[in-house]
Amino acid sequence: MNSDRQPPAWAAGVCTGLHAAGSRHVLYVPDNPLSHVLAILHETFRDVKTMIATREEEAFGIAAGLYLGGARPTVMLQSSGLGNSLNALTSLLLPYQIPVLVIVSMRGDAGEWNAAQVPMGRAVAPICEAIGLSPATAETPETTEALVQLVGRTAFSTRRPGICRLPRRLTAPAARPKPPA
Amino acid sequence: MTSLDAIREVVRAASAAPIVASLGHPAYDLYAAGDRPSNFYTWGSMGLASSIGLGLAVAQPHLRVYVIDGDGSLLMNLGSLATIGWTRPANLVLVVLDNEQYGTTGGQDTATAHGADLAGAASAMGFAAAVAVQSADALSRMLDRTAREPGPWMIVAKVGAAAPTAKPPLDCVFIKQRFMAAIGCAEPATAGAGHDED
Repeated sequence: MNSDRQPPAWAAGVCTGLHAAGSRHVLYVPDNPLSHVLAILHETFRDVKTMIATREEEAFGIAAGLYLGGARPTVMLQSSGLGNSLNALTSLLLPYQIPVLVIVSMRGDAGEWNAAQVPMGRAVAPICEAIGLSPATAETPETTEALVQLVGRTAFSTRRPGICRLPRRLTAPAARPKPPA
Repeated sequence: MTSLDAIREVVRAASAAPIVASLGHPAYDLYAAGDRPSNFYTWGSMGLASSIGLGLAVAQPHLRVYVIDGDGSLLMNLGSLATIGWTRPANLVLVVLDNEQYGTTGGQDTATAHGADLAGAASAMGFAAAVAVQSADALSRMLDRTAREPGPWMIVAKVGAAAPTAKPPLDCVFIKQRFMAAIGCAEPATAGAGHDED
């Protein structure tokens, strides 16, 4: 990340959107683009508590406990961690109707340079669909806040996890796959 | 001490406070010890009972939160000990029923049968107190201490293998809604209510 630069507009949109959806707790496993979101939360949204988890499934477990205690939790993860999360999603959050706002920083989509990220990145949408969840995608910095807020409010109203993907073309538009040497 | 003996001590110490139970024998025995609305029975998500308890303890710092985990379950999510040790919720009491086997699935050995020390791991990860007890009396005395001394606590109760005699309600949403109402966090009667409150 380039911490000396102006925070990116999409990251500010994620923060404002999750706050407007009523979320004051963010569980996460870190990722490079998400570090921008965390920096803004720590700087500007002092009423939002953040907690790091050792793996993504644990983050969903903590989020479920927060919800049982009356909170509206957000989980942020890289797409590579969705596989780690499936047991929590399918055997805790879905059957108990426990809602969480889920922010997925995408890897393996357009602009990817690392082959190890591609299979899971491609599988995010079909896996979500297979368990009955339809991921939304933030397409532009200007629309990110409204979309995150909408996904969050829908999740907490309908008591289902709500997933918002942040594609690489949004979070890392300058990144380009390197041509072979 | 059997698992049921140990759980009866936890229920006595908890009074009306919330108890989160790991799936399988811990949840079955918690139900057998006496159903109560502030019991959260999990039916899946093996390993996550301590994480659910952590989230609840953070959301409701004025409540003392009890978790009944198993040795096999906790071994699936040892990272949880690091997160609890870091965040140090004073109101979290993690009771591990350690029968040194995967009791719900046929009695295969867990690593605790071969030297793994869960209380030692919790202590090393920053729990305020972590002990192992061998008897219901010792467990009872230690649970009384959790009411006076801040946590996070881990109490490993070494229990013998025994088959549970009852199963909790199967309706997950019923379990959740009854639990949330009992601890003062009732969900609105209809999904969507409260949508415009913020």
